Amino acid sequence: MKYIKYIGFTSLIAGSLLVGSCTDELDLSPTDKLPAESALNTGENIERILLGAYDALSDGDLFGGNALRDSELLGSDGDLQFSGTYGEPAEVWRKELVTSNSDVAERWYSSYYVINATNIVLDNLELVDEEEQGRVQGEALFLRGLAYFELVKYFGKPYSAGNTTTNLAVPIITEPTYEFGDITYPERQTVEAVYARVLEDLQQAEDLLPTSNGVYANKTAAAAILSRAYLQMLNYEGARDAANRGLAYAQGVFSLVPVYENAFNNTTNSSEDVLSTQVTTQDGVNNMQLFFASTRFGGRGDIEIQNQHLSEYEEGDERLALFYSDPVTGESRTGKWVDQYANVNLIRLAELYLTRAEANARLGTEVGASPADDVNLIRERAGLDPIDNPTVDDIVRERFLELAFEGQRVHDMKRLQWDIDGFEYDAFELIFPIPQREIDANESLRQNEGYF
Amino acid sequence: MRKALLCSVLLLHLITGIGWAQSRNVSGKVISNEDNTGLPGVNIRIQGTTSGTVTDLDGNYTIEVPSAESVLQFSFVGFVDEEVTVGNRSVINVELYPSLDQLSELVVVGYGTQVKEELTGNIARVGGDQIQNVPVPSVEQAIQGRAAGVFVNSLNGKVGQGINIRIRGASSINASNDPLYVIDGIPVTSENQSNTAAPTNPLADLNFNDIESMEILKDASAAAIYGSRASNGVVIITTKKGKAGATSFNINYQYGVSRPTNHREFLNASQYIELLQEAAWNNDVADGYFADVVDPENPALIPAGIEDHPDYAADSWLQYIHGTFDFLSGDRDWRTNPANTNWEELAFQDARTQELNLSASGGTDKTRYYASGSFSDQDGILIGNNFKRISGRLNLNHELKSNLDFNANVGISRTLNARVSDDNEFATPLQLVAQSPLSPVRDPEGNLYDDALNPSMFYYPATVELENSRFETSVWRNLANTSLVYEPVDGLRITGEYGFDLLTQNEDRYQNANTQGGRSTAGWGSSRWLRIFNYTTRAYANYVKPLGEVHDIDLTGGVEFQKSQIDQTYVAGQNFPSTELTRLVSAAEITDAEGDLSEYSFLSYFLRANYKLLDRYLLGVSGRVDASSRFGANNRYGFFPAVSAGWILSEESFLQNTRAISFLKLRASYGITGNAAIGNFTHLGLYDASVYGGQPGFVPYQLENPDLSWERTAQLDVGFDFGFFKNRINGELDYYVKNTTDLLLERPVPYTSGYRTIMDNIGSLRNRGVELVLNGTILSKTDLQWTAGLNMAYNQNEVLSLNGDQQTLAQSGSRWLNDVIVGEPIGVFYGQEYAGVNPDNGDALWYVNDEVAAEDIDGVTYLNQGGRIATNNYNLAQRVVLGNPTPEFIYGVNTSLTFKGFDLSVLFQGVEGNKIFNGGGTYMTANGRYEDNQTVDQMNRWQKPGDITDVPQARLYSNNGAQASSRYLYDGSYLRLKNLTLGYSLPKSLLGNYGLGTLRFYAVAQNLLTFTQYPGWDPEVNTDYAASNISLGNDFYSAPQARTIVFGAKLSF
Repeated sequence: MKYIKYIGFTSLIAGSLLVGSCTDELDLSPTDKLPAESALNTGENIERILLGAYDALSDGDLFGGNALRDSELLGSDGDLQFSGTYGEPAEVWRKELVTSNSDVAERWYSSYYVINATNIVLDNLELVDEEEQGRVQGEALFLRGLAYFELVKYFGKPYSAGNTTTNLAVPIITEPTYEFGDITYPERQTVEAVYARVLEDLQQAEDLLPTSNGVYANKTAAAAILSRAYLQMLNYEGARDAANRGLAYAQGVFSLVPVYENAFNNTTNSSEDVLSTQVTTQDGVNNMQLFFASTRFGGRGDIEIQNQHLSEYEEGDERLALFYSDPVTGESRTGKWVDQYANVNLIRLAELYLTRAEANARLGTEVGASPADDVNLIRERAGLDPIDNPTVDDIVRERFLELAFEGQRVHDMKRLQWDIDGFEYDAFELIFPIPQREIDANESLRQNEGYF
Repeated sequence: MRKALLCSVLLLHLITGIGWAQSRNVSGKVISNEDNTGLPGVNIRIQGTTSGTVTDLDGNYTIEVPSAESVLQFSFVGFVDEEVTVGNRSVINVELYPSLDQLSELVVVGYGTQVKEELTGNIARVGGDQIQNVPVPSVEQAIQGRAAGVFVNSLNGKVGQGINIRIRGASSINASNDPLYVIDGIPVTSENQSNTAAPTNPLADLNFNDIESMEILKDASAAAIYGSRASNGVVIITTKKGKAGATSFNINYQYGVSRPTNHREFLNASQYIELLQEAAWNNDVADGYFADVVDPENPALIPAGIEDHPDYAADSWLQYIHGTFDFLSGDRDWRTNPANTNWEELAFQDARTQELNLSASGGTDKTRYYASGSFSDQDGILIGNNFKRISGRLNLNHELKSNLDFNANVGISRTLNARVSDDNEFATPLQLVAQSPLSPVRDPEGNLYDDALNPSMFYYPATVELENSRFETSVWRNLANTSLVYEPVDGLRITGEYGFDLLTQNEDRYQNANTQGGRSTAGWGSSRWLRIFNYTTRAYANYVKPLGEVHDIDLTGGVEFQKSQIDQTYVAGQNFPSTELTRLVSAAEITDAEGDLSEYSFLSYFLRANYKLLDRYLLGVSGRVDASSRFGANNRYGFFPAVSAGWILSEESFLQNTRAISFLKLRASYGITGNAAIGNFTHLGLYDASVYGGQPGFVPYQLENPDLSWERTAQLDVGFDFGFFKNRINGELDYYVKNTTDLLLERPVPYTSGYRTIMDNIGSLRNRGVELVLNGTILSKTDLQWTAGLNMAYNQNEVLSLNGDQQTLAQSGSRWLNDVIVGEPIGVFYGQEYAGVNPDNGDALWYVNDEVAAEDIDGVTYLNQGGRIATNNYNLAQRVVLGNPTPEFIYGVNTSLTFKGFDLSVLFQGVEGNKIFNGGGTYMTANGRYEDNQTVDQMNRWQKPGDITDVPQARLYSNNGAQASSRYLYDGSYLRLKNLTLGYSLPKSLLGNYGLGTLRFYAVAQNLLTFTQYPGWDPEVNTDYAASNISLGNDFYSAPQARTIVFGAKLSF
C-alpha cells in the first residue's frame, strides 16, 4: 500500500518542516518588561524612569517606612520598646547590629537603586521635552540628594562628631549603570564629601523645581531637606535660611492643618504634607503602620510607647491625645500610624517652623519670624498656651514632641550630641555596619570600626 | 542474540497469528504470578534440543515432546526461567514469577528501549508494581529509598507540596537542580507553580498507579541525548499499556489513617510560669531591683510574697510579666486555674486517607488498550490540609497495517489541594506551638481567642485561620500524546510524535474579617489563574540491524521542538459584605490585578548509535544540539556529545566456565550535558513597569548578558554490572565524577551599581561518588519466595570556584546559616560556633575561632571555655564551617517474602552525614526570650553561679544566645522503616469458582518507625518558605512527615 509509505514520510517531512519554521520561535521576549533600548529612547520613557525612582524611594526598606522606623528604634532611649519577633529591627533597637542584618543591607541597596535610576534620568535629560527638562532634572537631583542624605546619616559618623574629612561615609556614584562594564568598585567617601554632594544636589534641585508639583518634589521639599542637612552640619544660618525659603515657597501651596490629628493617616496628602510617600490600596507599603499599629488595625503591634515618653507632654496637649491604648494588649501606641493604606509623611510643614525657630534662637536672629511666633504656631495648633521668649531647649523639646515617631529622632539626638541608651552620640553601635554582603562584593570597602 | 531471536520469533508469531502446533502431546497455559493473566510470547524449549515454541496471545501453548524425561524450559523477558520435567502429564500449566534478575529486562531509554544487559549507561529502574498502593500523594515520595543515588526529601509534611529530588547530587547553584521529567516521551511541567512561598508539586497530579516503570537516567551516556536539560538526570515515566488477550479488570480500594511521625514536648503551664517569671525577675535583679531580697547563692529564686515588695509596683519586669500572664490567660486565672493548653497537639488533625483505583486492560492483536480511573482523598496531618485527586487515563495502541502503528495516550486529572500557610506565617498550624500554655483556645461562650478581636495571645493563631479562611489550589491537568510509527523496511522505524501537557490551575484564597489577613480590610480574597501549555513535536527514526553473526547496530536520530507558554492572571480584592460571601465578585474593592505571559522554546537535533560486536563488545555514541530562547544571541546553540563502551566479560571464554560468575560487564561512559533551568529572559537587558501614586513608571530590572549560555556538566562514569550464581545475586557498582563548569550563577555585583546580581556563566563545582546496587534471591520455591535488595550511594559535593577568586556568595540575612563557599558543599552551614554558657554569669558564649592575644583574655569579653577561647559578644566570634545540610550517604534496604498466599515487603530508607538547623530555635528554644512557649529542654537554664548547662540564663526580651549559631544545629541522619506491606491473597482455587482472578487483602504502613538523633519533629525537612538550592536542611515550624497506615483490598478478574 503506497499511501502508507506516504504517511510515514509525510510525518517525517512535516516534522522537519515544523522544526525548520521553529528557529524563529527562539527569539522570544517578555510581555511584561521592556528591552533596555526601548526604555531609554524617548523623553516620555525617561520621565517614566523618574517615576520609577519615586517608586523605588517608596520601598518598604526606605521611605515606605523602615528608614523612619530605624531612626525611632535606634533613638529609643527608653521612650519605646520593641517587642516584635523580627530579628532585624530588634537588633536596631538593642543597638546590637550584626553585619549580616538584612534590613541594613536592603537600606543600602534600595538607596543606590534610587541613585542609579536618578543617574539614568540625569544622563538622558536631552531626550526630555525642553519645557520639562528643568523640573525633571530638579526632581532627579532631589531624589538623589535625599538618598545620599539618608545613607550618610545611617552609615557614617554624625557630622557633629567632627573629623568630617577623614570619617568615612558611603561611596558616591553619579554615573548610571547601563551594562555590566559600567559597574565600578568604589571606595567610601568621607562624611564631608557626601554632605557636599547632598548640598549640591539639593541646592540645584531647589533652583530647578516648581513650587507646586502635585505629590512630587517641589521647592519647599528641597529647602526642607537642605535645612535638615544644615542642622546635621550644625550650620544654623544655612538651616535657618533654607527653612525660611521653604516657608516662603509654601505660601499659597502648603499650610498647617488646623487640627493636629488630621495631619496623619491621610490617603491623599493634607495641606501640610510637603512630601509624603504615596500609598494606595493597590500599591505601596506603609511600614510605619506595620510596626507601630495594633494588630487590631492590621499592624504587627511591635512598638510600644513607654510612659517616659507620654509624661513629656503638658496637660491638654492634643498630641498626647493622639496616643491610644492598644485594644488588644493595653499597651500605648502612637496614633500617627493607624491606617495601612495612608501615605507615609516625610516632610510636614510644621517641621520648617520649628527648624527656623531653633536656628533663629541659636543665632539670636528673627529671620522670617521670631522664634516665639514660630513655636507658638505649633503649640497653639496642639491646643497649648503660647510661651514667651522660648529658649533653644524649649524649641528642641517642642520639636521632639511635634515630630515624635516620624523618623527624625535619632538624627536630631546625634546632632545635639545626646547620649542614647547609655551610648555616646557617636558610638559605633548607633551607626549601621556596612553590609557584609557588600564588602564581599566590593573589596574596596572598609567596615565601620567596631564591626567585624 | 538470544533475545533478538526471541523477539523476532515473537513478532513473527504475532503477525501470522499461527501457532507451531505439532501433532500433539503436551499443552497448557503459562500465567504470570503477578496478576494471573496469560503470558503471550513465552519461549518454551525442550532442553538439549533446538525445538520449541512460544505461547499464544492468551498464554496457551502446545508442544510435541520426545519422551517423559524431556524437560521443558520456559523463559520470558522479565520473569524467572522455569524448568519442568514432563513426566506422564499431558497438561502442564506453569506460573512464571517476575524476575529480580533485571539483566534481561527491557529498559526505557531516551527515544527507545534497550535490554539491560546491553546498556552502557547507568539507569535506575523502578517498576510500577513497586510503588502501587503507597499512601503518599506524589510519585517521588513513593520512590524514596528505591533507587541508588536518587535523594528524595520532602520539605515538610504538608500534602501536595514541594519535594526536593537530587540525582547524583546538586549540580547548580542558581539554576534548578531538579531532573527533567519525561512522561511517555513528552517533557512535562514539573516546577513549582505556587503563588506563595510554599511550593507546590505538579507531579502530584499524576496517578502513579498508572505507571508501568520509571527509568532514572543518571550518567552522561544515558542522559546526554536530552542535551541541555540532562545535567540533573532525566526521569522517564512510562505509563501502562494494554496487553492483547482477555480483558483484565482490577479494582483496588484502600482506607487508612495518618498521624505525625513524632510529637515535640513544650512547657506546660507551671513550667511556663516558672521560666518566664524567672526571665523577668532576672531583668529586675540586673537592673538593681529587689536588691535587699535577692539570694546571692541562688539569685534566680523569687521569694514568696514578692508582690508586696515596694519595687514590684515600681515598673518592675516581674509586675510586667504577671500582667502579661493575666492577658494570656483570657478568662482564666493563671495562678489558680491555668488553661494548660497543649497547643502542639492542636496543630494536628485526625487525618484519614482513602483511594479507589479501577483499571482495565486488554485488546486484540490489532488494538490494545489500558484504561483507568482513580479517586484519592488524603488528609494532611496538619489541620485544614487535604489533597484530592480524580484521574482517568486511556492508552491505546492500534495497528493500522502490519507496518504502521498508531499510539495515543491521554491522561486527565483534577487535583484539589486544601493548603495551609507557609511555615513562616503565624497562620500555619505548627506555629501554634508558639502560643502560651496559659492561653485557652476558646472563651466560655465558645468563641476562639486570638491576638486582636478576642485577645488572649500575642500571635495570631491557626485555629482562627482554620475556621475563617479558604486556601484551595485546584489543578486540571491533561497529558496527551499521539504517535505514528512506520516501518518501511525491516528494522527501520520512523516515528512522528506530538504531545502536550496542559496545566490549568487556580489558587483561590479567602480570609474573612476575623483573620489576620482580613481583619484590617473587612475580608480579603485573591484568585490566581494559570495556564501552561507545554508542547513537543518530533520526528525520529530508529534502525536496528543485526549485520551478520558478528555485528549488531542500533541507530536513532531525529529533530524535536518544544515550547511552553505560561499565561496567568491574578486578582485580589477586599471589603466583603459578609463572611458568607467568599468569592471575589463580592469584594467591594479590587486592590490588585495582574496578568502576563511568559514562554520558552527549545529546538533540538539528536543522534545515537549503539554497536555490538560478538555479543560482548558494546559501543555507544550520542549527540544532541540544542538551541533555546533562554540564552543570549551569542551562545544560543549548544552541543552535547557522549560516548560509552561496555565489555561483557562473562561472554569471554576465560570466564564462561566460572560457575559462580553468571554475568559480568564492565562499562564506562563520558559525556557532556547541560542545564538550562533558569528564568525565561535572564539574558536580556530589561526595564520593569512600576507604579507610584497611581502613575506608571519604569525601573531598571536586569542587565543584559548576550553571552549567557548553558551550564555544562562533564560526567565520567565507570561501572560493573554483575550476576553471581545464576544471577541469584546481581547488582551494579558505579563510580562517577560530575564536573560542572560555566555555572549559571547570579554573580553578586556591588549594590552601589543599582543592581544585585547579573546572571553569568562563572564558577564550577563537582559531584563525585559511588553507587552500589545489590539484589538477591534468597529462596525461590514454588510456595516460598524470598528476595532482598540494597542500594546505597555516597556523593561528595564541592564548590570548586566562584567568580574569580571570590570565596563565598555571602548570603545575607541573620536567620539562616547556609552559604556557598569554595571548597565546601553547596549550602554549607557557616556561622558562629556555640560554646555553651558561662558558668559564672549565665551568658551565652561562642568560640572566637580567631587569634586572641593572651593579655586580652579577661574572663569577661574573652574567656577560656573548655580549653578554647570563647566570647559573649556574638560579633566577635568568627564564622566557621559547621556542617553539611545534604547527606553524603543515602541508602535503601528492602526485602520481600511470599509464602503461599501471604506476601510481606519491607523497605528501610536512610540518610547519613547531614545536619539540620532549627531556625525556629531562636524563638522556641531561646531560654524565655519572648512570650513564645519553649521546648521543654529550656528548663535546664542557667540559674546560679556554678551551674553547668548549655541553656543560658533566661532574660526577657534580651537575646542571650538565641542568635543563629551551632546552638541550633543537630545531626540530621536518620533511618526509617519507610514502607511495610503485608498482604494475603485468597487461593485461586477458591476464587476460580466465582470467576475471579485474584483477591488480595493488604495493609501498608508508611514511615512506621524513624530512628534519629534529631530532637525536632522530623529529620526529613527543609522549611518550605525558604527552600532553595542553597537554603537546605532548615527546620522552621515545619510539619513532620505522616505515619500512615492503610488497609486495602484488590480484586482482579
